[in-house]
Amino acid sequence: MSNPNRFPFAREIEIPSEMQGWEEMYPAHRMFSPERREWEETQFWYADKIHAPDPMVPLDEVFQQAWQIALSQHTTRIFCIPPAQGIAQRMVGCYMYICAITPPPPEVIQEKAELFPKRTFPLFESYGTLWEDWLTRFQTLGKELRSIKVPTEFPKYMPDFNSATTLPAVTPAQELLEAFNTAVNIIYRGWQYHFNYLNVTYLSYLMFADVARQLFPGISESTIGKMVAGAEVSMFRPEEELCRLARLAHAESKVADILRSDRPAASKIQSLRESEAGRHWLDELERIKDPWMYVSCGAGWYHYEGSWITKLDVPFSYLKGYIERLDKGEKIERSFVAIAEARDRVVEAYRKLIKTPEDQQSFEGAYKNTRTIYRYAEDHLFWVEHWFHTLWFEKMREFARLFVKQGVLRDEEDFFMFNRLEVPYLIEDFSTSWALGEGIPTLNWADKAQKRKKILDAAAKWNPPPALGIPPDVVAEPFTVMLWGITTERVQDWLKGTSAKPGDVNELKGFASSAGVAEGKARVLKLLEEIVNIKQGEILVVGNTNPAWAPIFSKIKGAVTDIGGITSHAAIVCREYGIPSVTGTGTATSTIKTGDIIRVDGDSGMVTIVKRASS
Amino acid sequence: MDYVLDFSQIDKNLLAMVGGKNASLGEMLKAGIRVPPGFAVTTEGYQEFLTGAGLDDVICGILDAVDPEDMASLDNASAQVQALINGAPMPSAIADAIRESYAGLCEGCQSQDLPVAVRSSATAEDLPDASFAGQQDTYLWVTGGDQVIKMVQKCWASLFTPRAISYRIKIDCSHITTLMSVGVQKMVNSRTSGVMFTLNPTNGDPSKVMVEASWGFGEAVVSGIVTPDSFLVDKIVSEINQRTISAKTVECVRDGAVGVIHRDVPPERQTTPSLSDEEIKELVNLAKQIENHYGRPQDIEWAIDIDFSPPENIFILQSRPETVWSQRPNKPLLGGKTGFELLMDKALTTIKVRK
Repeated sequence: MSNPNRFPFAREIEIPSEMQGWEEMYPAHRMFSPERREWEETQFWYADKIHAPDPMVPLDEVFQQAWQIALSQHTTRIFCIPPAQGIAQRMVGCYMYICAITPPPPEVIQEKAELFPKRTFPLFESYGTLWEDWLTRFQTLGKELRSIKVPTEFPKYMPDFNSATTLPAVTPAQELLEAFNTAVNIIYRGWQYHFNYLNVTYLSYLMFADVARQLFPGISESTIGKMVAGAEVSMFRPEEELCRLARLAHAESKVADILRSDRPAASKIQSLRESEAGRHWLDELERIKDPWMYVSCGAGWYHYEGSWITKLDVPFSYLKGYIERLDKGEKIERSFVAIAEARDRVVEAYRKLIKTPEDQQSFEGAYKNTRTIYRYAEDHLFWVEHWFHTLWFEKMREFARLFVKQGVLRDEEDFFMFNRLEVPYLIEDFSTSWALGEGIPTLNWADKAQKRKKILDAAAKWNPPPALGIPPDVVAEPFTVMLWGITTERVQDWLKGTSAKPGDVNELKGFASSAGVAEGKARVLKLLEEIVNIKQGEILVVGNTNPAWAPIFSKIKGAVTDIGGITSHAAIVCREYGIPSVTGTGTATSTIKTGDIIRVDGDSGMVTIVKRASS
Repeated sequence: MDYVLDFSQIDKNLLAMVGGKNASLGEMLKAGIRVPPGFAVTTEGYQEFLTGAGLDDVICGILDAVDPEDMASLDNASAQVQALINGAPMPSAIADAIRESYAGLCEGCQSQDLPVAVRSSATAEDLPDASFAGQQDTYLWVTGGDQVIKMVQKCWASLFTPRAISYRIKIDCSHITTLMSVGVQKMVNSRTSGVMFTLNPTNGDPSKVMVEASWGFGEAVVSGIVTPDSFLVDKIVSEINQRTISAKTVECVRDGAVGVIHRDVPPERQTTPSLSDEEIKELVNLAKQIENHYGRPQDIEWAIDIDFSPPENIFILQSRPETVWSQRPNKPLLGGKTGFELLMDKALTTIKVRK
């Protein structure tokens, strides 16, 4: 990269030879292409470490494809945010790059400026009802997804029928194709719903943040976040339900004993079935399972993360922790009332400092609007990325099991190696061979899947550049600013290069997302399963946290994440627990090693490695 | 008669007896704001000193003869009166009371010959529209009961500088009924000291406290011979929003007999923060308390005393109303816009990414 003012263009990037064939894994329109080069090279692209931190698994790419359309059209065609365009995506070497597109021509901005207020302002007035409607719509959609029938096998012959009255209307071949198409239609629609209120929510937040900064220059991002955050939002409900189940168990010594023991969840459940009290507790668990256990063990973007219902050991380990804390007489629930009161006290204290009645009025207006809608940022997350994605992954595994059973694929994982536009080929190829009769070969899908798994392994070891192309003069798109935190400083930091080797770096910069300073031993977690290793008073270092991790926040002294801004889950929870956190450092999990003594400065956003652990 | 009053016995109702400075120290103590311990020699003591020694008539005689337009006559009268006051023996009742209070102060600080500051506290000095400021004296690092008594007399004598005399004649104010109290206060043995404002002095933002700090005595910061460390702290959530650690090359420290000297700071200590985060937070708490107490923004001098342990080691030396931002008219910062208008503005803005 000879030009210090720009990042390499996609065509200048050398992709490791072990990844040869990676292009076949993704649809052609998602690649950088010669016929679009002129446009592509005037845009600025950066790696999306929030939604696609790991190499993109072809079938999991469906969410990305869906959000590209859904997010963008809400900005450009529905709400018409004047100077903002959508967010484009491109795949480079199994990593997803996204684009902060330059603003449209002035006359388009003008047109949109007339549409925007008409389309946006009314929704603040009736957000309460709108949210109720949204939830009903979304739950209906999830139920549709769940009720899709996927054939469990393709029989040698169709079951007997009476040809005097009727013939089989459909065969599994037809059912299978329809089932998959329906599932894809539902996931796209769900992602359309996902953005119904999110663009405006983010914009409103950014507006309020500006207001707060004008009135109180230097006010920290974490304080602004605290002022608008909702206490009782869907995202915290799973944790609440676990606390309730823990209390229930704690009152029944037999049940508590079983849950306290060191055994896999499956064996605990078996023991619980043997007693009346145990069965009663299991009934309670069953009752809240859907939706509140449909929580991804990751951020919800990759099928392999699993969720509480598929990895019961995870919620059961939290239950054990809660019961042990109850044994010690500790309170395990977060007090939503106290959190809300603390927030209101902070807002009231700032409010009192506003000097003129005009500013007081402006502040009230800005605050009221933002508070009204901001809870959407935390509510939608549970329902879409967790509940809905969990349902999708479960459904996809039904397809996977069928292909394994029919011998087309070797294992369930193979199915995820094909993108959503390829799966219909797979279905058609297999259905055709079944329809044609005996001994008809299909393409070798299993080998193809095997090859792709190897490419993904190689991609995981490759370190793609943070950005491509020429940084733009300005950005207007709300998600680019708020979610990915694209700022002058960020881009300059990237430009300075990521050439330093991880061992040489002793300082990391990120978002100062929860105030305070903590120093202590780092615990780097790459896999959720490692969560049991965390010791009291350690500082958590992870790629990204999510509500499934909530129960460990009372144990740790601070948190550092690779990705996520000030509204990320880790940031929200750390603020509530009053522990410092720095989010969005980019490389914490590769730079910091377990046992290093680190200092987390949640006021300035700096993470310092004070002392390396002796290796 | 109360010739001497401990700071803890003083409040603003006693202003006529202890003067503005002492009254304000008493008020701060009452509000829970830690000021260095000490006592006031009251105006009753001053009056008793004048009348008991028969000085009042003599002084009146000298001053009645002064021609305020004639510098030589003013200088001459001033010298005569000051010599009289400094030379007269302190009546034993007052001297005993001062010695006793000083001994009590020494005992409380577990130090023999505790260094104290002796300051005039005029009944008019700190009041608005009658500024005698700067016309009375302050004596630092005074030790021993006899010296304290001597400096008390010097303070009293400072009521009779040529300027003060001519000023009183000009505003037709009696020389003898202008009374003065004196404050005797422990010298803070400063490890770190500085100033703080209960708003952001660069933009008037009332949600911040700006703390400036440097090693040693506050003179270094106040006189501008070092660039202090500075900390901008959010009052409401107590977060340190901005932290600038400067190279503090010089410090003011005590040197036995001489008093305060300037000394080079060894390189490794120059860039060490002069305050810990806990100390910053404690200072900010005090700043908030003081601002609440006075009901308006303050400009506060403070110090951290080596002789005490935290959190009792932080002392407030002085608090004055902030004058720059507090006097500016408040203009709306958001242009009187509604929530929707602000949203529209935001929707129209772009964020600059390239420099």
